[in-house]
Amino acid sequence: MAEPLVAIRNLKLEAGTARGRAAILRGIDLEIGRGRILGLVGESGSGKSSLAACLIGLTPANTSAISGEIRFDGQNLVGLDPTAFARLRGRRIAMIFQDPMTALNPLFTIGTHLVDVLRHRDPGLSRAAALSEATAMLVKVGIADPEARIAAYPHQLSGGMRQRVMIAMALLMRPDLLLADEPTTALDATVEAQIVELLAALRREVSGSIVFISHHLGLVAQLCDDVAVMYGGTVVETGPVDAVLTDPRHPYTRALIACEIDEDDAPGGRLLSIPGEVPDPVRPMTGCIFAPRCAHAVETCRSEVPELRTSGDGRRAACLRFEELP
Amino acid sequence: MTRLFKDERLGYVASRLLTTVLIVFGAMVLLFALTALVPGDPAKSLLGPQASPELAKRFIAEMGLDQPLHVRLWRFFGAVLTGNLGVDVISGKPVVQLVASVLPYTVILTFSAIGLSVLIGVPLGIHAATHRGSASDTILAFVSVAFIAVPSFVIAIFLLLIFAIWLDWLPVLGTSRSGEFLDEARRMILPTLALAAGWIGFIARLVRSSMLEVLGEPYIRTARAYGLSERLITYKYALKNACIPTIAILGLGIGRLLGGAVLVEIVFARPGLGRLVYEAVSERNFPVVQGAVLVVVVLFVVVNLIVDLSYSAIDPRIRRSSGQGAGA
Ligand SMILES: Nc1ncnc2c1ncn2[C@@H]1O[C@H](COP(=O)(O)OP(=O)(O)OP(=O)(O)O)[C@@H](O)[C@H]1O
Ligand SMILES: [Mg+2]
Repeated sequence: MAEPLVAIRNLKLEAGTARGRAAILRGIDLEIGRGRILGLVGESGSGKSSLAACLIGLTPANTSAISGEIRFDGQNLVGLDPTAFARLRGRRIAMIFQDPMTALNPLFTIGTHLVDVLRHRDPGLSRAAALSEATAMLVKVGIADPEARIAAYPHQLSGGMRQRVMIAMALLMRPDLLLADEPTTALDATVEAQIVELLAALRREVSGSIVFISHHLGLVAQLCDDVAVMYGGTVVETGPVDAVLTDPRHPYTRALIACEIDEDDAPGGRLLSIPGEVPDPVRPMTGCIFAPRCAHAVETCRSEVPELRTSGDGRRAACLRFEELP
Repeated sequence: MTRLFKDERLGYVASRLLTTVLIVFGAMVLLFALTALVPGDPAKSLLGPQASPELAKRFIAEMGLDQPLHVRLWRFFGAVLTGNLGVDVISGKPVVQLVASVLPYTVILTFSAIGLSVLIGVPLGIHAATHRGSASDTILAFVSVAFIAVPSFVIAIFLLLIFAIWLDWLPVLGTSRSGEFLDEARRMILPTLALAAGWIGFIARLVRSSMLEVLGEPYIRTARAYGLSERLITYKYALKNACIPTIAILGLGIGRLLGGAVLVEIVFARPGLGRLVYEAVSERNFPVVQGAVLVVVVLFVVVNLIVDLSYSAIDPRIRRSSGQGAGA
């Protein structure tokens, strides 16, 4: 396989809280292939957004330590000087956020948002040229009447339309790495489907790689090439999306898929969930992070930290016992 | 879309104008009630206890005080709307003329104080927010709170003592007789400073806290995620948002500022509404009190109107909330 665009090695992120040091990421190992879409899934609190924050260099203000390595096209992003990182943002790395209602500044028109980011990427661009480029991109992301929309304020657009604007903003950057943190969670189901279709259709526009964060395994299966399952600040299983979702090796992945199926059966809520609680980031990890909730845990699971091990063609799982599981 | 926008805005302006007019009318009724229902015999309190009953009777008839209340209220409205605020019972001059001759002093003092506080307070607030927790932030917090806590007339007295009497740098008392601009400007320095000091601190604190709040908003995160420079983020994307609460509070504070101006005027022996009202009250000169207070109310309401409208010019969402909403 060609060298991946991003190679993350033993990435750890800690933050100081009132209750002590929180281990938000506990040693992430992950690769993002060139031109591929990686789905990042896991329960709330598993560290998906925090991983994205590390990739774009916007870690929380209370970060107390960040260690390990993020090789982005050969350059280590961990400990990168802030001005160098700011140059990467909006040029080589872009991001779409979960809530399009709050991700756009209410006091500025759509046009101002788009023109400002375009001129950050390309300072020589005139306002008029930037505006026409922005208008053309709005058409591409399926916004009708783009001239009127460009003069509109965010509150005058629907949620779905705002998310299209965010996507347009990201695509205008022609990024090598596009991070999309639950871009459809805040939208209702029909709009969600439209946005996912749009992202799928726009794949060709993005020459680079995409990280698609979602709770929704169905969407990930539909859109992504690879998947990484996160739990308690670690990656517990990763590999090509079809293989991992049809034949999960890690008990957590299995539990997650079981929940998803139940959810589809009973529309209206995530009624069935995995018994037990998400691990507290302030508590240190002694064995397998999932052991307290795992139906298959044995004594060694509580004392030995499992590494990600190859579990088949291009797949890896962090479970001591995946060979023995039924 | 643009047309719709203009209409929304017009609707907003119209509704705001209407409330302004209603407030002024309310104030007029209140003022009328205050002077009409004030306990005690108006003739006695104006003419003195020694006035003969005939004189008092003639006075009451002349002033129309023997008419029923609603007639008097009606007459009062009519007079005010035609620009007649009554006559000064002592000098016999029209109240409008008295007020008009001192109003510019108060207005100029108040507005130069606001201007100075905005000019100094806003940059200080931005600095404190972007250098949160630094030594300058801490010192600024301390000094601001101290200035906010001390009433402006106390600062006025201190400035008077230090600069005019002790150092003898600036002429202070009164205004320039000649009305000469430079001399008048120099005499304005200390009163303006006295009035502005607390407001500089107040605005600095306000801008700091609004900036900190805005800088934590998701849309600022978006701007950062796209690599926009901190300068652009601070001065364009954050400051405009932070201005909204600041302007709102400024509008509310105009009343307090006018009150402060009144006291500062008295300390510096400057002409103005403050001295006019102060003297009129001590002479029980009710028409002057009534007229001057009404002018202050109108001033206050009009400034608030302007503040509200400028607010809607900044924030497109306000224009919407009063209109029927734009299509999404
Ligand atoms: N700044 C912070 N300080 C302390 N703890 C934090 C901080 N940010 C995140 N955490 C904790 O780290 C864990 C991971 O948070 P993160 O937001 O990355 O999860 P997530 O997988 O994106 O969840 P969600 O699906 O709800 O978005 C959570 O337990 C959260 O409480
Ligand atoms: Mg998240």
